[in-house]
Amino acid sequence: MTDSKQTLSVMDRARSLVGNQTSLLILVMIVLSIVFTAFSNGTFLSTGVFANILTDWGGYILLAVGQTLVVISGGIDLSVGSTVSLSSVVAGFVMVKVLGLTAELKGVDAWGVLFLAALISIATGLVVGAINAVLINVLKIVPFIATLSTFGAAAGLAIIISGGMPMQGPSDFSLINPVRIPGIDPLVFDTGLFSPMVLIMIIVTIVVGLFLHKARFGLYTYAIGSNAFAARAAGINVKKHTAKIYLVSGALSGLAGFYAYVRLGSGSPSSGTGMELYAIAATVIGGASLMGGIGRMWGTALGTLILFTVQSGLLMTGVATDWKQIIVAILIAAAVAVQTLQKKNGAR
Amino acid sequence: MAGEVIYEVKNVSKRYGSVVALDGASLKLHAGEVLGLVGDNGAGKSTLVKVLSGAHDADGGELFLDGKEVRWHDPRQALDAGIETLYQESGLAPHLTVSQNVFLGREKFVKGLLGKLGFLARKQMEEEAHHDLEAVGIAVPASNRSVSQLSGGQRQAVAIGRAVSWAKKVIILDEPTNHLGARQAGEVLQIVKAAKAKGLGVIFISHTLPHVLEVTDRVVVLRLGKIVKDAPTHLFDGDTLVAMITGTITELPSEKKSQ
Amino acid sequence: MKRSLRTIAAFGVAAALVAGASGCAANKQITIAFVMGAESDPFFQAMKVGAQAEAKAEGVKLIWQGDASHYDVATEVPIVDNVIAQKPDGLVLIPTDPDGLQASSDKAVAAGIAVANVDTHVTDLSKVVTFITGDNTDGGAKAAKAIADKIGYTAGKTYEVVVGLTSATATTNVARLEGFKAAVAASYPGIVIKDVAYSASNPQTASSNVNNWLTKYPNLSGIFAIDGTNASGAAAALQAKGLTGKIALVGYDAYPANVDLIKAGVFTALIAQDPAAEARLAIKTLVDYIKNKKSPAQRDVVIPNVTLDAMTSASDLAKYTYVATK
Repeated sequence: MTDSKQTLSVMDRARSLVGNQTSLLILVMIVLSIVFTAFSNGTFLSTGVFANILTDWGGYILLAVGQTLVVISGGIDLSVGSTVSLSSVVAGFVMVKVLGLTAELKGVDAWGVLFLAALISIATGLVVGAINAVLINVLKIVPFIATLSTFGAAAGLAIIISGGMPMQGPSDFSLINPVRIPGIDPLVFDTGLFSPMVLIMIIVTIVVGLFLHKARFGLYTYAIGSNAFAARAAGINVKKHTAKIYLVSGALSGLAGFYAYVRLGSGSPSSGTGMELYAIAATVIGGASLMGGIGRMWGTALGTLILFTVQSGLLMTGVATDWKQIIVAILIAAAVAVQTLQKKNGAR
Repeated sequence: MAGEVIYEVKNVSKRYGSVVALDGASLKLHAGEVLGLVGDNGAGKSTLVKVLSGAHDADGGELFLDGKEVRWHDPRQALDAGIETLYQESGLAPHLTVSQNVFLGREKFVKGLLGKLGFLARKQMEEEAHHDLEAVGIAVPASNRSVSQLSGGQRQAVAIGRAVSWAKKVIILDEPTNHLGARQAGEVLQIVKAAKAKGLGVIFISHTLPHVLEVTDRVVVLRLGKIVKDAPTHLFDGDTLVAMITGTITELPSEKKSQ
Repeated sequence: MKRSLRTIAAFGVAAALVAGASGCAANKQITIAFVMGAESDPFFQAMKVGAQAEAKAEGVKLIWQGDASHYDVATEVPIVDNVIAQKPDGLVLIPTDPDGLQASSDKAVAAGIAVANVDTHVTDLSKVVTFITGDNTDGGAKAAKAIADKIGYTAGKTYEVVVGLTSATATTNVARLEGFKAAVAASYPGIVIKDVAYSASNPQTASSNVNNWLTKYPNLSGIFAIDGTNASGAAAALQAKGLTGKIALVGYDAYPANVDLIKAGVFTALIAQDPAAEARLAIKTLVDYIKNKKSPAQRDVVIPNVTLDAMTSASDLAKYTYVATK
């Protein structure tokens, strides 16, 4: 006991280093930024690049946020990418085919219908979430298969509704452009980091994060993922809460579909293609365990940021973007290794 | 010593497919009484626990709490009626803290709008959890520690402490001394006695027969889903209890003498 | 498991459409299967319109198949194998990978099915009845010309351009890029291709790539968006940054939404293929081959691409704009 301090093994040192997931992720962000800055002759370290990273982050964060809830509860939601495609298409369809609006409606004039589009997108996501909940709770299909089914169905439906083509409707691209603080010369210091849409995504992330970490909703989510039997024995209605989690994930995916609509100025049936895998990757890199019971919203937010720092960084340094997948794979492996170390360390 | 009948089971049956797990079991639990429930593996103990705690619906039979018929479809209903259960499988969520586990399903909220939205009064629950556990004789480390960081004995203490501090009428303990060292098991038995002194009805299920003989007032023996003996503890000794469980005897020597 | 479910989803979509198209059953009716890349791609939607029209005209039964949204060899192989099991007389195959689909193509031929390739082809074309494609190499060259015209190319000056691709292996992407590079080298040596990046079939990713390029290359003159997905993403990125018309943007594929953006000045030009014509010719050639057992006089047919820009007549714009299936 007394000489343990003198005989700290390499493993012990590694464990104490990874004790705090958040600081480790921030460290990874800093290291990546330094490496990319060095290899891009400094061009990486600019407000413009970080604004681009945040724009990408905004597109994916809500999927990762929803996925975090689902993963902490011990499930998985593969339908999120297709839900983005479907909800952006449904929003486009309602505006173009039902209301007869065109791309001529632009800028502030479009805000009213864009707000409507947001509601439609969220409603579409809720429907997918509700179907997931029924498949899982009523038909007792495991989440992997249940959400795989809705993944395929939503993708197919998006194509049928859109006829396979992007549907261009009313838009306001200024919503996706970084806002600069007036009075500060952008040539001296460019304050344009966050677009209005990114700010909305940040607020939604914080709100869901508060519900996860400070409210009963989150407590039950952790309890179910940690020990579903204990949760039920403590009187928690596990089915009802599980349904809520998939509904929230669906609604967040729907809102991400609206983000895709605003970003592209159209509802595109391929706007969510492949997004589910990055959402899961971001969640795991952020420290959530696919076994359930573990995960932090901070971690997910940073994990998503790291993913798109890699994407932008590779492009800025001129490294082929094929490397993205390899680096993402390394990050996932590292995240899981860190988790294992933490488990041995007994830290939460 | 024992008071009124607090919880009564009449002719309860439960089958899983073609397997009869419980076959017309009946028993009475009095306030301030510790009832030992013993039987071999597969005798139906865990099934009876689950029926009593609302985790399983019985196929047939009746339950009476304080003389009124009750039916559980959900553990929540039994909990609300004052029946606490410590399950053999861990009833704790390892990723949650001690206080989160103690208050799971009975959270305290902050005041105002945030409270209505479900925001939790974490500090208050941590303090109360610490206090409540101490009150039932359990010295737990900081109640904001994650359960996964506790030793097996500490976890069991938290689980029992939670059950005892919340129980209003009945407490069911399924193998509470399993995997515990002698000293820790002794502490658990002290808690059981304290619960009894509070006037709670305690159902104590265990394979560790010396513990059963030490702490219970009455013993019910289950074999193949049926209750084969219900008698005061002092009529048993270690050998007769084993023989009764395995079915090598069906009557107690003391009963023979009295006849 | 994921793969097979995607397939099931695609089957469901396709089956519903086929059921509608195959109303006119007759004795000894010829069946033609058509396996394409990704149902969500308007290019294939336009192709479907041509295929359905030709099948109806020829009185043949059409089995239309393909993944719902992933242009991917892993999802296509099981679909082709499944189609072969249905024993059609002919198979129009759009291989998502030249080597990856070779075995499936050979298997179909061995089962007595006449195979045609459209748009992209398998590595070994010797057993394929016909290969019909848009002239992607020429399309790439046309894109180079459109960019050069827009930026007012002057010999001796240098111009920075970038190319947005969907994948590094799709043969159409490869051919267009080759044509683009060859034309640049031959006619516009001052144009420097600074970078290429991939969208993985997602227009949001295509948009992100353009955003990053705009930051990295402040003097960027032009963007070649090599397919419809990249065209949509690049158009959105330029509009968002208020760079409409300031950077030459040449896209590919005549999505209705993108054709509208030619007028708005977002696209300098769109290079359009005629997927419906490709599909019609493929089915016609296969039906002739099955009926007469005679190979067509010309096996490889190239259907030229056209440049759509602000000068294109309204009737031509309408003619080449992709139409969604009803």
